Amino acid sequence: MKKKMLSALLCMSMMAATLAGCGSTGDSAPADEGTAEAPAEDTATEAPAEGTADAAEAPAAESTGDGLVYWSMWDAAEPQAQAISQSIEAFTAETGIAVDVQFKGRTGIREGLQPALDAGTNIDLFDEDIDRVNTTWGSYLLDLEELVAANDYEATANAGLIAACREVGGGTLKSIPYQPNVFAFFYNIDIFEEAGVTAVPTTWDEFLDTCEKIKAAGYTPITNDNAYISSMFGYHMSRLIGEPATEEVVKNGDWDNEAVLKTAQAYEELASKGYFSETIESNQWPAGQNTELAMGTAAMYLNGSWLPNEVKDIAGEDFKWGCFSYPAVDGGTDGTEASNYGAQVFAINAKSTKAEQAFQLINYLTTGEADALLSEMSVGIPADSNNAEWPALLTNVKPVMDSLSTRYPWGAGAEANADMTPIIVENFTKLCGGSINAQEFVDALKAAGN
Amino acid sequence: MKKNKTMIVVFLAPAVIMFSIIFLYPIFRTVLMSFFKIEGVTDAVSKWQFSGLSNYIKLFNTELFRISMWNIFRIWLFGGILVMGLALLFAAILTSGIRFKNVFRAIIYMPNVVSAVALATMWLQYVFSPKFGLFKSLGKFLHWEWLEKFQWLDPAHLFIALLVAYCFGMVGYHMLIFASGIERIGADYYEAATLDGANRIQQFRYITLPLLKGVTKTNITMWSISSAGFFLWSQLFSMVVSNTQTITPVVYMYQNIFGAGNSMTERNAGIGAAVGVLLSVCVVVIFIVCDKIFKDDDIEF
Repeated sequence: MKKKMLSALLCMSMMAATLAGCGSTGDSAPADEGTAEAPAEDTATEAPAEGTADAAEAPAAESTGDGLVYWSMWDAAEPQAQAISQSIEAFTAETGIAVDVQFKGRTGIREGLQPALDAGTNIDLFDEDIDRVNTTWGSYLLDLEELVAANDYEATANAGLIAACREVGGGTLKSIPYQPNVFAFFYNIDIFEEAGVTAVPTTWDEFLDTCEKIKAAGYTPITNDNAYISSMFGYHMSRLIGEPATEEVVKNGDWDNEAVLKTAQAYEELASKGYFSETIESNQWPAGQNTELAMGTAAMYLNGSWLPNEVKDIAGEDFKWGCFSYPAVDGGTDGTEASNYGAQVFAINAKSTKAEQAFQLINYLTTGEADALLSEMSVGIPADSNNAEWPALLTNVKPVMDSLSTRYPWGAGAEANADMTPIIVENFTKLCGGSINAQEFVDALKAAGN
Repeated sequence: MKKNKTMIVVFLAPAVIMFSIIFLYPIFRTVLMSFFKIEGVTDAVSKWQFSGLSNYIKLFNTELFRISMWNIFRIWLFGGILVMGLALLFAAILTSGIRFKNVFRAIIYMPNVVSAVALATMWLQYVFSPKFGLFKSLGKFLHWEWLEKFQWLDPAHLFIALLVAYCFGMVGYHMLIFASGIERIGADYYEAATLDGANRIQQFRYITLPLLKGVTKTNITMWSISSAGFFLWSQLFSMVVSNTQTITPVVYMYQNIFGAGNSMTERNAGIGAAVGVLLSVCVVVIFIVCDKIFKDDDIEF
């Protein structure tokens, strides 16, 4: 009987150890060691006592440890991650604050952050896109107003982006922007010059004129890829009726709104005049940006300011990048002062016990040398207004960025309804390729309902 | 031997408890979630809002979800016929005693070893490219204008492109299963058939095929499971934003749980759960149908 009891006991403890092993790696992990060790060392009388002592001490050491835990949206191989790693090393050397940086990548953060925060994982700070951090994860963020005021952070920060962060944060600052970006037309200056275009188009008529000249010069005026093509639809609609109204149309399926047909007609005209790439319907990202724009056969591409960096190895050093805001349209509500601009943002976990240190790190990474290094290595826009020198490839983006006062969210509202995005993309692509006309475009959206 | 109930309980307990936690609990929770509106997938139960059948009703009324179900059905049926057909053909050829059997087998199996990301990039950016693609060059070489001009990647043909690329990678895997099934059949059957005057095709039709029933069932089951979870290739064939030609229910589920593309869209893990439940029902139906068609008639050989 004794033997049976013993084996039963052993079985149970084995099971407990296995189960405990499945637990989260957070606070419970050291406790598991205690349980697992105890039966193994059952001959030594002191062992269980030691096991429990370990268990009691270990979590305490972890939670009051000096290290910051930073979950990053970058992949370790990306230039951004490399720049941040370098700066963090310098930060640790300077301040003595250790930082455990974990490069999770876009999907890693997107899928894993919220579950990890819900499970109480020890994360002090994280970063992602301005909108996702503030809207999707808004309830997990620490209000940074006090820390920002105490450190006089706003003295060197980009005022427009800080304002944008306050706006999406519901009136208060919960995130710190870095790696700003702007979404506008990027173009090949050499083609513009060769075609005799002397000034960037600011109105739709000027835009048509520009396209005509480029076509006459033997180049493809506009190209795009499936990944970004819906932004052209969103931008045009938003120029006509403003972004909030565009978003309403997309979300509520109000395809009878005349702005939809007007937008479609404008693009039908572009298509019928042959201003789009011949292969626009087949352009699966990054085919258009790599094989047409960067190779110098197409002139314009509506994309983000990350584009020059993405294609720099294909485009070569002598590629001259120009940039202009989406042109204004006749009788529209918005002009060239409106665009999608934003940034990646840092935010601090509201439950972090090391908020001040975390802010110190954010301050370090988004200002001065660290910011300049990030800008240089990633060919990105600097966040610190004292870093006035932008990377050479982005020189012409600065005036555009400085001229913006109205902020559109991603795609200017075109992708606000996930149930419609693929249907808009499909039909808008066909419209640009000339496979369907404006009325058929509207009909197709109406047929899809929602 | 005397049965000892305590020991049975003790030894079964770990497995039963683990099974309950790892399988039964998630199934139960997913089914339950599908009747609620839940913003974050890990939200506490107190944040769930009961919404009855509205998640299911919304799914059936959403064009995009219907498109995704149609896509997966097309992948399962047409892809299935293509892959099973080719796999069986290659398996029959490879087991027929040709030379360099191992080399051919390795070549056909190769795509399974290469990362799907690399494969998809090769197909998308090279083979199907309308500018310098392999098919375009091939069409030019053969003076087949239709092939040279064929736009594989436009909205009208993207599904075919996806199907071709996906099936290319899957043939080798199912071929191996078929080949092992064929090799199990004793050589004396074929010998006897040859003596009776049956040619190769007749042997295949009357010996190989009937004896491959069980293996075929395994293959179809495997194919159905991988089709139901079709995700990676769909994502790779429509980077950043999803596409009507490539979206599948699992992609739709992902978008509802984690948001779509770069935009901040409404999230509802309840809808994601409902998609999961519907998919499971489909898979169960396929299994039942398969079981009915391929009854185990206990042929021993």
